[in-house]
Amino acid sequence: MKPRPVWPAVLPLVAACTLAPAAFAASLDVVLQGRDGKPLAEAVVFLESREARTAVKPAQGVEIEQADKRFTQRVTVVPIGTAVQFPNRDKVRHHVYSFSPAKTFELKLYQGTPANPVVFDKAGIAVLGCNIHDQMVAWVVVVETPYHARSGANGRARLDDVPPGSYRLRSWHPDLAPGSPALDQEITLGAQTTSTTVRLPL
Amino acid sequence: MKPSRQRLSTRIVTLFLGLLLLVQLAGFAAIRASIASNARATLSQELAVGERVWRRVLEQKSQSLVQGSSLLAQDFGFRSAVASADIDTLASALENHGARIGADVSAFVDTSLQVLTTHDANPGRGSEEALRQLARELVSQPRGSQVGLLGQRALQFVAVPIKAPVTIGWMVLGFSLDQALVDDMRALSGLHVALLAPGEGRHSQLLVSTIPGLDTAELDAARGGDDVSIGGESMVVRRVALASGSSGANVLLLRSVDEALAPYRQLQLTLLLITAIGVLVFALGSVVTARHVTTPLSALVQAAERLGRGDYGRPVEAGPAKDEIGDLARAFDHMRVSIAAQATEIRELAYRDRLTGLPNRAAFRDTLQAAIDAAPQGGRLAVLMFDLDRFKHVNDALGYAFGDKLLQAVAERLHSDGVRGGDVVARLSGDEFAVLLPGADTARAEQIAMRIASTLEQPLVLEDQAVDVRAGFGIACWPQHALDADALLSRAEVAMYAAKRKTVPALAYDPALDSASPETLSLLSELRRAIEHDELRMYLQPKFAIGSGTLVGAEALLRWHHPVRGLVPPLQFIPFAEQTGFVRQLTLWIFEQVARHWPALERAGLQRVSVNLSTRDLLDHELPRRLEAILSTHGVKAASICLEITESAIMDEPQRALTVLDALAAAGFKLSIDDFGTGYSSLAYLKRLPVHELKIDKSFVMAMEHDADDAKIVRSTVDLAHNLGLTVVAEGIENAVVWGLLHDLHCDEGQGYHMSRPLPLADLAAFAERWVAGQPSSEAAPA
Repeated sequence: MKPRPVWPAVLPLVAACTLAPAAFAASLDVVLQGRDGKPLAEAVVFLESREARTAVKPAQGVEIEQADKRFTQRVTVVPIGTAVQFPNRDKVRHHVYSFSPAKTFELKLYQGTPANPVVFDKAGIAVLGCNIHDQMVAWVVVVETPYHARSGANGRARLDDVPPGSYRLRSWHPDLAPGSPALDQEITLGAQTTSTTVRLPL
Repeated sequence: MKPSRQRLSTRIVTLFLGLLLLVQLAGFAAIRASIASNARATLSQELAVGERVWRRVLEQKSQSLVQGSSLLAQDFGFRSAVASADIDTLASALENHGARIGADVSAFVDTSLQVLTTHDANPGRGSEEALRQLARELVSQPRGSQVGLLGQRALQFVAVPIKAPVTIGWMVLGFSLDQALVDDMRALSGLHVALLAPGEGRHSQLLVSTIPGLDTAELDAARGGDDVSIGGESMVVRRVALASGSSGANVLLLRSVDEALAPYRQLQLTLLLITAIGVLVFALGSVVTARHVTTPLSALVQAAERLGRGDYGRPVEAGPAKDEIGDLARAFDHMRVSIAAQATEIRELAYRDRLTGLPNRAAFRDTLQAAIDAAPQGGRLAVLMFDLDRFKHVNDALGYAFGDKLLQAVAERLHSDGVRGGDVVARLSGDEFAVLLPGADTARAEQIAMRIASTLEQPLVLEDQAVDVRAGFGIACWPQHALDADALLSRAEVAMYAAKRKTVPALAYDPALDSASPETLSLLSELRRAIEHDELRMYLQPKFAIGSGTLVGAEALLRWHHPVRGLVPPLQFIPFAEQTGFVRQLTLWIFEQVARHWPALERAGLQRVSVNLSTRDLLDHELPRRLEAILSTHGVKAASICLEITESAIMDEPQRALTVLDALAAAGFKLSIDDFGTGYSSLAYLKRLPVHELKIDKSFVMAMEHDADDAKIVRSTVDLAHNLGLTVVAEGIENAVVWGLLHDLHCDEGQGYHMSRPLPLADLAAFAERWVAGQPSSEAAPA
């Protein structure tokens, strides 16, 4: 589920940033690879810093859709405080639940869209499942930073408009052991685009 | 007979029975061994299967446990309790759900293999730590289930993941391996099951088992396979490790060997029975067969013995049997027949003369003896024996083949003309034939002999050669001449030879002929004794010169004074002595007497003494030497002795006689031919003989008085002698007339009863004295 573009809100800021001296809008290209070098899709990277924490704002209109008895998007990254909707596009009902400490909730057997979204107000990783469909599983990575991205099929994730500075680059993939935190490494971003490769123990 | 049959048939029976028993025993042993190994194999197979069953049972149990546990693990409430991370909630949810499924032990293991909580229905000492360990192991090496030991309990553990929605941990549940399980296992597999855990002390601890009251010591002993005696029963054991790792628990699968072998016992018993029956049947069968073989065999043995005795009459029973025994019996019978035929043929050969077809000597002898034995009281029979004159001459002249043909022709003639039925003709040997004449006496035998002789007289023509056949016949009669066959034959032979010697056609046996008869044999020994015992006497018959009437000599004659018989006439022993050759001893004796007494005789006026020599003496080349030896012993000149030799004696072997005579003449003896005129001499031969004197045979002298022919012969003989330069002596002058006649004929000397009979030596001297005093014509000679 793609986050609804927040271009209108951010556009001026971005324009300002782009018009601003380049040093204020670095990019980071991350290539995420497994142990044997294979590209990891659906990996999450985000940059943490004190500044980022203060800059984080909840996203809007995030949905984690259920269709064909699956969560359409396996991994979703939301900034902290985001309210996520869980529309059920299936004919059958789903009982979405999570026991993760990041967010423990359940949406008992429903069809359509529940009235209230689920607000992820704690940073962490929540793993979701459906009580009656064991194969349905999704992750929600709640981050305290506006700088986050998800890798595509090629294992690349791009973080744009990141103010240069030093951050903690966090990387995570669903296949990591449940409950294990995201990888942590120091990174400093300069004015230019920085590329880095992260190797995950998978 | 019996023992031999038993031996063979017993041997047959024993042999075959033994073989059968051997085979049966071998089979029995083989089967038994096979059964045993088969049973073992089956047992071990059963145990192997049992092990597989055990594993499958455990596996299936674990599967059902896993399924049950999985369902449990998916319970939302349970999952939320587990995810709540509240240990107490977790523990109580675990306990609760464990109880739902009936687990004896439960544990929760988190994703980092930490055991967060455990629950044990029957906690024991040290079990918690073991449980933790087990739980970790189970989770880290996920398999269907694992069997583990907690204290003294064996439990089957399963681990199921708890997904919420991803695995957040594992629930480990353990279920006791209890009696129900082993009973079920026994029901399934038929094996006994015993679970052993290492116990305190030496022995294992028995957890559960299907055999009540098992002694773990016994079970412990069941290491290393093979039989173990457990509870009195022999069992085969298989050990299966109960739990992985070194917990040391084992499940023992047990199978009773006796149980396994039980069905085979039945088989073995049946087999034994079959063996016993088989042996029995076979024994009977082989006894019968052996009988079948040995009975005909012993019959054949009897038949063989009969044949051996010469009884060829009884045929050998062959029976209808077409087998080898029957063949043997038939072959035997053929043999019997051919042996009988051969025996007959041999008998034929033994008793028949091949050349002529007549019975041979053996046959004739047997026939003769049989006739003697069969003859009635007062019966008689005669044996006629003859041989062909000069047959050897025929063989030499005309060949042996011709001789054979001659014999055959003779036999032929005998058969056709010579004999009548009842008479048996045989060829004894060579040219010797014999005829048995039953019921005949000597006269009849002589008749037959004559008839045969006349038959033979007709010349035989063989190969264009006419042969004159003549024979001499000897006759011996039973019972007068001999009492048994052999004696009869030998006496007939004696008679035959005598007939040939005397050149008469046929002669009956006379003991006098037989130098081998007991009487003559004794006579011979007596004669020998006579010399030793001085029973012989020398008598001298004076010889006179007819012209002057003076005593000129004497003829030495032998007399025998037998102590028992008295004076034995010379005729009774001299011819016999001549036949036996003993005459030579007599001659020497007389010669020696003459030589010894010669001085006295010479004093008595004798010029010479005459000594008779026999045919035998003439043929003795040693004679001259012997006589000379005697002469020299006594110092007598040979000229004092005149040796008288009969005419016929010379003629028997003229050449040889001549040689001896020449030697005697050369020695100085005077030689005189005695009995002149009665022999077969030729005058041509006569003139070659170195004789000095002829003695006219007494037959002529005694007859000359009355017979003019004899007188002429005497005169001619005197003239012949004188013409040949020989002196002549007349023997047998019995009266003065003859003396006078002889005187007129100028006969030189004479001797006879007219002048004197033979006198003993002692009397001769007296006689000589008296004689000188007178002349014969004036005195009658003493008788």
